[in-house]
Amino acid sequence: MAFAGAATASVSACRALYFMDEEEAAPYIAGKSGMIVRSSRFLDLEMPREYVTSFITPLEHFFVRNHMHEPSTLDRAGWRLRVGGEVEKPLSLSLADLDQLQSHTIVNTLECAGNGRASIEPHVPGIQWQVGAVGTARFSGVRLADLLTRAGVKPAGQHVMFRGLDEVPGKVPPFIRSIPIEKARHPDTLVATHMNGVRLFKHHGFPARALIPGWVGAASCKWLAEVKVLDRPFEGNFMNPGYRLPNGSIRPGDSLTLENSHSLTTLAVKSLIVTPREAAKLRPGILQVRGVAWAGEADITGVDVSMDSGATWQPARLSRDRAPYAWRFWKHSLNLRRPGSYTIISRARDSQGRVQPASVSWNPGGYLNNVTPQVTIHVEA
Amino acid sequence: MSKPSLAIIALITSQCASLVWAQSNATPQLPDGPLKAKVVNSCTECHDARIILQQRLTKASWAREVEKMTKWGAVVEPADRDFFIDYLSGHFSPDKPSYQAPRSTK
Repeated sequence: MAFAGAATASVSACRALYFMDEEEAAPYIAGKSGMIVRSSRFLDLEMPREYVTSFITPLEHFFVRNHMHEPSTLDRAGWRLRVGGEVEKPLSLSLADLDQLQSHTIVNTLECAGNGRASIEPHVPGIQWQVGAVGTARFSGVRLADLLTRAGVKPAGQHVMFRGLDEVPGKVPPFIRSIPIEKARHPDTLVATHMNGVRLFKHHGFPARALIPGWVGAASCKWLAEVKVLDRPFEGNFMNPGYRLPNGSIRPGDSLTLENSHSLTTLAVKSLIVTPREAAKLRPGILQVRGVAWAGEADITGVDVSMDSGATWQPARLSRDRAPYAWRFWKHSLNLRRPGSYTIISRARDSQGRVQPASVSWNPGGYLNNVTPQVTIHVEA
Repeated sequence: MSKPSLAIIALITSQCASLVWAQSNATPQLPDGPLKAKVVNSCTECHDARIILQQRLTKASWAREVEKMTKWGAVVEPADRDFFIDYLSGHFSPDKPSYQAPRSTK
């Protein structure tokens, strides 16, 4: 049985070498390394907390949220973006057409509405994002308003619908959503063709995606094929019951209706502690607490840090890098001279007067979980 | 080095190579159970098993999920419906430890 013994030993050696900290094999995903693979079909990738180190997130580490299969084929030459519905002159634009129009760039923190869902109690179904379904990029492309002006929106036009080329399995409703005409006409709302200065990756919506700055990621439809002006909000699964919040508190198990809920729009005010990590063991001395904070359409006006369960707060220092829809890095020094366990809490504030809460009401989608984060560390002599 | 030693190293190397290849292309698996084969057929036709593995839901929530997915095209025989719910709520209930998702490789 020497043969069997050798084979067993080799398997153990391989596991020790390659799978030390993982229960499963590590998948290969082109252009995306070190990402937390929430799902590989449909592709859902979370950025690990330790990758939150730069104002602009490298594309390699930018999160991916897909509801459906990515388009299996994308014909660059044959692709057209149709603009129609309640317009005077429907448009059909090639990628070359878009490239010839004036380009604008918006730095935007994009966050999935379900970021933080894993911490919701009682648990709700969906991708169990922890903290990293968020990232900041420079999105470039044409103003949606410019396309709508060319097409001539009729007075009846109230909402703008986006249809992508995602491939829908079975009888799953297509991922189609719409936004109010006012947001569509905002000069910062784009049909983006580039991200961080390069052509969109397929995972991020090549050839073109909507970029609805400050709003939940679901508003920024990928692989755009159609922009349609409607006389009312689009009615589909991802408008109702999807991506809605209850108007008040509801009990787990209760359903949402059009009457007792509203559609998600802007992101919440939120901070994240990047370092130190949970359960870190440190020596006595000065500790730099670092993190980021963002607030959708609002500006971050401050981040506070507490060491006494929120009884008192100290202001953190905000970094200079800033943009209207983008996160801001912050840091705060703590002098931890005595050994012991310490719990650090951060709390963001914004220009709309919103303050990050210590608790949030449960909702069936597990959306907009912006509870103040906390990290417990241990200082050892 | 003796020939047997070289043979063992060659064996270990080949085992490692084949295991790495197999693991890096492997798909996550659902736990064994009476309905595993049917759950695999019904659910992973459209999405991978990780979407199930990461859920921690009550039986009532799993019942709603099975109902929704059936409406969306998952083939679940009426006679199997309750067994599906038992399988899913038995393995992926709120009291189970969190699923540890893998990292993508370079």
